[in-house]
Amino acid sequence: MKEVRTIKERVYSRYLQKKGASKLSDWKNILTQLTTSEGKPEALDDMMVLDLSYANFSGNVTASFLAEAGAEVINIEPPEGDPSRIMSPYGANVKGVGIPYLMESRNKRQITLDLESPEDQGNLKRLVKRADILIETYAPGQMDAWGIGYRQLRELNPGLIYIAISPYGHYTAKGREMAEMPWTDLTSQAESGLAALVGDLPDAPEPYNWPTRAGFYAAGYTSAVGAACGGLVASFFKRRTGEGQMIDIATADAYASCVGFPPTIGYVWKKPRLRYGTLDYGLCPYGFFKCQDGYVAIACFRDQDFRAALKLLGQWKIEEEWKTLLDRITDDVEKVKELNSVVEKAVSKFTYKQINEKFASYSVKAAGSKWRGGGLPVTTKMMTPDEVLQEEHWQTRGTFPKIAHPSYGIVTLPTTGKMTKTPLRVKWISANIGEDNDYVFEKYGLVKK
Amino acid sequence: MTKDYFNFTDKLFAREDIDKKAEALKGIRVLDLSHMIFGPTAAKTLAQYGAEVIKVEVPNQGDYWRGGTYWGKYWKHSNPLWHFINPGKYFVGIDVKKPKGKDLILQLAAKADIIIENFTSGTVEAWGIGYSQVSKINPKVIYASLSTYGQFGPRRYAPGWDLLAQGASGVLSVTGHPDTDKYFKVPDFFGDFFPAYYAAMLILIALNYRERSGEGQYIDGCQAEILMRTLSHFTYHDATGESLGRTGNMDPTMSPSGIFKTRDGKFVAVAIATDKQFQSFCKALSREDLAENDTYKKAASRLKRENALALNKVLEEWVITKDVQELSGLAKKHRFAAAEVMDDVQISQDKWREERGSAILFEDDMYKKLLVEGPIAMLSKTPGRIKWLTRPLGYHNRYVFKKILGLTEDQIKDLEKERVVGTWDYRVGQRPPIYHDLSKDRMFNYEGGEDH
Repeated sequence: MKEVRTIKERVYSRYLQKKGASKLSDWKNILTQLTTSEGKPEALDDMMVLDLSYANFSGNVTASFLAEAGAEVINIEPPEGDPSRIMSPYGANVKGVGIPYLMESRNKRQITLDLESPEDQGNLKRLVKRADILIETYAPGQMDAWGIGYRQLRELNPGLIYIAISPYGHYTAKGREMAEMPWTDLTSQAESGLAALVGDLPDAPEPYNWPTRAGFYAAGYTSAVGAACGGLVASFFKRRTGEGQMIDIATADAYASCVGFPPTIGYVWKKPRLRYGTLDYGLCPYGFFKCQDGYVAIACFRDQDFRAALKLLGQWKIEEEWKTLLDRITDDVEKVKELNSVVEKAVSKFTYKQINEKFASYSVKAAGSKWRGGGLPVTTKMMTPDEVLQEEHWQTRGTFPKIAHPSYGIVTLPTTGKMTKTPLRVKWISANIGEDNDYVFEKYGLVKK
Repeated sequence: MTKDYFNFTDKLFAREDIDKKAEALKGIRVLDLSHMIFGPTAAKTLAQYGAEVIKVEVPNQGDYWRGGTYWGKYWKHSNPLWHFINPGKYFVGIDVKKPKGKDLILQLAAKADIIIENFTSGTVEAWGIGYSQVSKINPKVIYASLSTYGQFGPRRYAPGWDLLAQGASGVLSVTGHPDTDKYFKVPDFFGDFFPAYYAAMLILIALNYRERSGEGQYIDGCQAEILMRTLSHFTYHDATGESLGRTGNMDPTMSPSGIFKTRDGKFVAVAIATDKQFQSFCKALSREDLAENDTYKKAASRLKRENALALNKVLEEWVITKDVQELSGLAKKHRFAAAEVMDDVQISQDKWREERGSAILFEDDMYKKLLVEGPIAMLSKTPGRIKWLTRPLGYHNRYVFKKILGLTEDQIKDLEKERVVGTWDYRVGQRPPIYHDLSKDRMFNYEGGEDH
């Protein structure tokens, strides 16, 4: 691996020495600035966010994103806590707090308010007067019925950005009809067209050919990043005009609107795609194949990449039959399975290291040659999360800070958002119910019962 | 719910008012040097909310995704799956490898608020259009470099894309059934789209900061790292000492949960998140005994692996006795989450999405009707919108060069002769649809004057 890396570095630094290129030292300077957040300002430290998320994890995540960029995020739960606290794989928890909740408790303040009581509604209003963003995930109309919905709060604070996240949104006939439907990531995946595409081929045995879940909160995080983008667009508008607004996210759709394929394909094809197992809807071979010690990516975009892969895998004899891109598109699944199984068999004879070395040295040679039709076969190994944690690359980048908390001990979290001036960062975690009541109540003059 | 709440919100988000409303990012100029999906989608997100996005491509070649598609299916001489990734942008063709081309790009960069690129680390620096160069002529610029492994760290020079990022981040390894040798990737380039929105978020954070401080900066958007941000598996591993692995079609954070076959051969996802939902779910099943059972009553115990699997079995056996309609009715009545697994066609025909603006049947001047995604976030005062679909390669050359750079027709003609700027060749995806009369197209032949 080390060997290969230096060859690659050499090729790229040769590009950097070309006429007209930037000065290598200037570029290195910038990269050095990226490596740390110490002593740097925070982009959103003039922003106050109230997070009222309840039993909808995408709200918690939206607030996390803003908290990592420096916003003061106050997480407001009912006295018995947000049910999201216990949504955790097989119930795993640290002192009663579930793993996902713990992971997203970064840089937040935890307080409890009983939003059904007039006293605490008063407290919420006190906070709202100073807030820039409010995030809520209750059933559409619930906050309004309590007298603390967007309609009422905008009177108190016309600059308020009110983000509502719910399965079907706060408008349309269906939104009204389905207002009481609870949020889950799984049902959001199903309604967004994701589950329909994950799973084995139709002729595989049941239940392996059934729709399958992407093994993480794919819909939840997509809703969250969409909500955060919306909130930041609105915040920019507010900085220019002073005006707030309402933002609506429908988690049953967010994923489909993010990837965009399902609506357009449905409209143009007029025929739904079937599940494709480990095949790809575009090209073959394009996927991970089992080698002797794991799974390795073989992905050939162009004809020259395909030719290179065949040569390296010792399968040149089939080139004639699968010559052009059009031969390798996957509209005829039976046909393409043949090609896939040739690649499968070939890959199974090698270790990852062997394949990687073959591919890397071929790519370097091709990049150095004047004849650029040689193809650039690219590969990588499938990593499990446990393996990712061990990798030097991510350790160098500081992707997984370990944060200490008096109750939870050391907690490992993923974080990302390297910027030269205002990088995202994790400063602390706070996950106990009402952990920061004293601090926040005093700071903002809230009234204790 | 107060009765008039939805009357209030229906008016607040009325689709027919969108074009009358303000655009939050109006006046923000984005130079989009990126290609394929990751970078272009980040730029698209900004265009949606009103930014002026200028997409730069190599003449006679263009973004590779122009000529991509699934199953070789093209639409009006274009890739139908390209239109929703690049709508509302201005398309120019400039050859960066020609010194004059590089100068043109730098001139545009000097007038840009935001620049987005997604080549392998160091490539734009080698071309002389990287942040180290642009920041000297435009210190306030926000420059986002998007790549699979990031700009620093030992693997920074390794190229990659969606598939490789899914593999390198751990995302691939968590999807599929346990104890099988198949790992399913998340389809439709999730590994590009999600990181693209995340990158747009980072850019918007920087834009908010610039509005306060006047300062620009450089952003390192790392695709694989952004995918890791969605996984609780790392925290799970270090907290429990165990690996979560693949969990099939159940969600291990909810119990019961899973995707099951109905009596009428459809598939339904059901997941129970809270104790309250579990109580009413048991009522729907007429299994109040489960609701009273100490093993299942509280989430902490209900979620334990063996208990979750037992409940999933009960759920599966119940679902197969019901039609999808009946299940939806019961879910609505008893307020637990159940949803039919929707496929491409169902989504494209969904009245709710149309009414909401999540899927838009857009009527374009050049391509006519196409159904494309709407924004994820609906903003009441500054809603996102589509102004046009994509355009052929180099279509806006005259508009951009004359209006923004102040070039004359003769200067542009010279640059064309020297092949510094240009448009399409005959290949699918680059050229306009055959029925489009270019000689009458005032934007393509822009002479100066009024806006598009």
